[in-house]
Amino acid sequence: MAFDFRNMSFSRQILPVIAIIGLVAAVIFIFFGLPDRELTEPDREPPRAPDAMAESSRVAGAGIVEPSSELVQIGSALSGLVTGLFVQPGDRVSEGQVLFTVDDRAARASLQEARAAIAEAQASIAEANTARATASRQLALYRNIDDPAAVSRAEVIRAEGEAASANERLRLARARLEAAQARANSAQTEIARLTVRAPIAGEILAVNIRKGEYVSTMGGGGNAQPFIEMGQTQPLYVRIDIDEEQAARVAMGADAIVSPRGAAERRVKASFVRAEPLVVPKRSLTNSAQERVDVRVLQVLYELPESNGLFRVGQQVDAYIPAGSGAQGDAE
Amino acid sequence: MAETDIQAATTAKAAICSRGVTRDFKAGQQTITVLHGIDVDIRAGELTYVVGESGSGKTTLISIMCGILWPTEGEVKVFGTDIYDLSDTELVEFRLNNIGFIFQQYNLIPSIDAANNAAVPLIAQGMDRLEAREKAVAMLEKLNIGNQAGKLPSQLSGGQQQRVAIARALVHEPRLVVCDEPTAALDAASGRRVMDLLREVAVAEDRACIIVTHDNRVFDLADRILVLEDGRITHDGSEMPEGH
Amino acid sequence: MIWIAIRMLTGDAQKFYGLVFGIAFSTLLITQQLTIFVNLIERGASGTYNVSSADVWVMDPVSRTTDVNFPMPSTALDKVRGVTGVEWAVPHLRAGASVRTSEGDLEGVSVIGVDDATLIGLPKRMTVGSPDVLSQPDSVIIDDVGLTRMFEDGRSPIGERLELNDQRAVIRGVADAIPSFTSQVTLYTKYSQALRYVPGTRNRLSFVLVGAEHGVSPEELTRRIEEQTGLRARTRDEFAQDGVDFIIQNTGIPLNFGITVLLGFIVGVAIVGLTFSLFIRDNIKQFGALKAIGVTNGKIRKMVAAQAGLVGLIGYGLGVLGTVFFIWGFSGNPTFKGFYIPWQIPLISMAAVFVILALTGWLALRNVLKTEPASVFR
Repeated sequence: MAFDFRNMSFSRQILPVIAIIGLVAAVIFIFFGLPDRELTEPDREPPRAPDAMAESSRVAGAGIVEPSSELVQIGSALSGLVTGLFVQPGDRVSEGQVLFTVDDRAARASLQEARAAIAEAQASIAEANTARATASRQLALYRNIDDPAAVSRAEVIRAEGEAASANERLRLARARLEAAQARANSAQTEIARLTVRAPIAGEILAVNIRKGEYVSTMGGGGNAQPFIEMGQTQPLYVRIDIDEEQAARVAMGADAIVSPRGAAERRVKASFVRAEPLVVPKRSLTNSAQERVDVRVLQVLYELPESNGLFRVGQQVDAYIPAGSGAQGDAE
Repeated sequence: MAETDIQAATTAKAAICSRGVTRDFKAGQQTITVLHGIDVDIRAGELTYVVGESGSGKTTLISIMCGILWPTEGEVKVFGTDIYDLSDTELVEFRLNNIGFIFQQYNLIPSIDAANNAAVPLIAQGMDRLEAREKAVAMLEKLNIGNQAGKLPSQLSGGQQQRVAIARALVHEPRLVVCDEPTAALDAASGRRVMDLLREVAVAEDRACIIVTHDNRVFDLADRILVLEDGRITHDGSEMPEGH
Repeated sequence: MIWIAIRMLTGDAQKFYGLVFGIAFSTLLITQQLTIFVNLIERGASGTYNVSSADVWVMDPVSRTTDVNFPMPSTALDKVRGVTGVEWAVPHLRAGASVRTSEGDLEGVSVIGVDDATLIGLPKRMTVGSPDVLSQPDSVIIDDVGLTRMFEDGRSPIGERLELNDQRAVIRGVADAIPSFTSQVTLYTKYSQALRYVPGTRNRLSFVLVGAEHGVSPEELTRRIEEQTGLRARTRDEFAQDGVDFIIQNTGIPLNFGITVLLGFIVGVAIVGLTFSLFIRDNIKQFGALKAIGVTNGKIRKMVAAQAGLVGLIGYGLGVLGTVFFIWGFSGNPTFKGFYIPWQIPLISMAAVFVILALTGWLALRNVLKTEPASVFR
């Protein structure tokens, strides 16, 4: 088609061209303006069902890692100031190892006192022994004199009395010694009680006291923080909460697949230990005073394999457990 | 037009044969008969005038003769073709190829220039636009307005517009030219010039030319004058009868 | 002949521009109003679409949309995780709260708690900062439109302290999110943090977001979840549609916009119809002459169709261009954030233009076709 430039017309040539350019621009604008509603994979790995269980029936639950001995919260039998602290978190301790000591000056003073009393009693015993020996010799002397006139009857009686008195004094002194020894023992026991020792072999998980702090017998196990928390962390257990509605589906005895929160791609296989006989209310984190609970959970314990620091006590985990239907039989 | 050639041999000079052409118009309950059985032959090579008072039926007659109005009765053969025997589309094609029209009000398209206006029949025939335009310009030159080819109708005088209309009627070399009151809007001198021009360019050996007019100033240029009164031909001759 | 038709059309500049204006105006009105309408009601789905990675949303059976929800007990998460075909499932909290700004103003906000570990539930992109800021204590991320509402003076919100349910919250990031229907300020934070920010009720878990295993369709998964857990599960698209339906059912928006679109159509028909008829009437003699000369009715139809086509092309093109300029021009305005032209809408307005032109062209053409060629001799 020949093009006659003289007849170049706004309405016949330029306008349609503008319209077509406009349409092309609109198509481009519309195409690139369409909203991005593409489905994407999550940036961070969420807890996924393990491959082995992906296509079979399963039960999911959340749980918390705990020591196999459960958590031991060390208390103190006596109150007082902490004078010595011999462990720090992470230490492995053997049974009977000293953890901390409480101020034992009062106990030691009474031990000292008892020891003084022992010495005193022993001195009394010696003195009484001496007196008794003197008295008995004198009495023997008087007894060996045949001449009744040589020793008056009164002398003899006095010497007999002295010997008896010396004997009594000796018994008294012995009794005093025993009493003092008992006091010393008691003081020593108290000193021993002021030294807190590990009840089991395990790992120190938390130390909440410092030297110089006052520990009270009211502390530990109650509302206040326990002084020291320890437990056997070899192996670790994990306590999984299962909704009571799902509880019946759990295959008891089967291994669970467990992953820590935030590291869902690192999964381990945990072996079954036991299911708690008691179904307990679900612990919620609402902090509400008028909290009501209607969800109860079955707690199932699993033993975690050695995992080199992946799991720590108190950590939350996600777990998948095979369901106990026909699917379980297939898996095994 | 193969069939027309055969016909041309038999009716050598009869370009249009109308036989018993009657036309009724319905006006409400009444039927008005405008044409009463017209039998007339229009010969090629002649300038034929159709003259009559308004209402005499002359416009109806030429409308029927050139295939734009159906007769109530009768037949019309244009160069041997019974045009009312053709289908609608064939009739339109026939008009396009064989008939040139010059309308009283020219009916030029105001938004295209003179050359393109003159080229309309060729374009309608499907000819390439530029080629058609070339031919149209040639025709305009023949009509002495070649220098006006690029102007819009509104930029032309009445006479120039008339010439463009004539160019449009002749550009595709039709065998029948129908012309409605060509001088009505012109003064005597221009009217005469137009008639002279028509005689010069439109009349040819194998071409019939019908002009409808009541302009007595140009009657002397006719080869043949048909006078129509009340739907009947009352005079057929080369001169106007006395009394007109 | 089409060339002549186009010349005839453009020769009468007044009517030509009248026709183009009529079509362009109709197109603009229909396209622009439909665009705004669609975008406005799709605000109901923004909560769903802002979460880019969840295939399925699980909720209490009475929950209806992202904002109209009834919380579930926390064990619902584990129930969902137990369903075969669930690749992963994370908790999601959505609740309203009142926030006190550092100036002491009170502002209603919606708090969204996303999964602590994976941060699934955050919008895909951030304007300022990275999602990792949530690992800092008391962190929240504000959405960008909420930002303009809350900090009208345009200062940086980073480090601003808010008070939520007597708790401290520090803005540490701005998310690039599509605002909700009400354009409410949205604060994103970790799920555990959100529990503290939202006044306490027994159950808090609004939704569980689920990813489907490869090879399991979301529809199939929703069926399984509903069967096994008794909760309501919706695919992403279904849930987005729920949000849209909720707005349609609860507002007068569809009616209002429907009226405007209808007006656009009527105005188009009126302007174009009248102008076209006038144009044809003006040219009826020329058309009559053409018919006498020997132009068939079919060609006349084509001529009128070409005229209508040119008017339609130019008018439609300008109208769509106008809409594009409108949307583009307002794209910086928070009210219009995320507005786009769905590709169906230009097609709808194109159909409307077609109907307008076909209708008016047919009406105008009737005159031409009825014209007897013989009339040119009168």
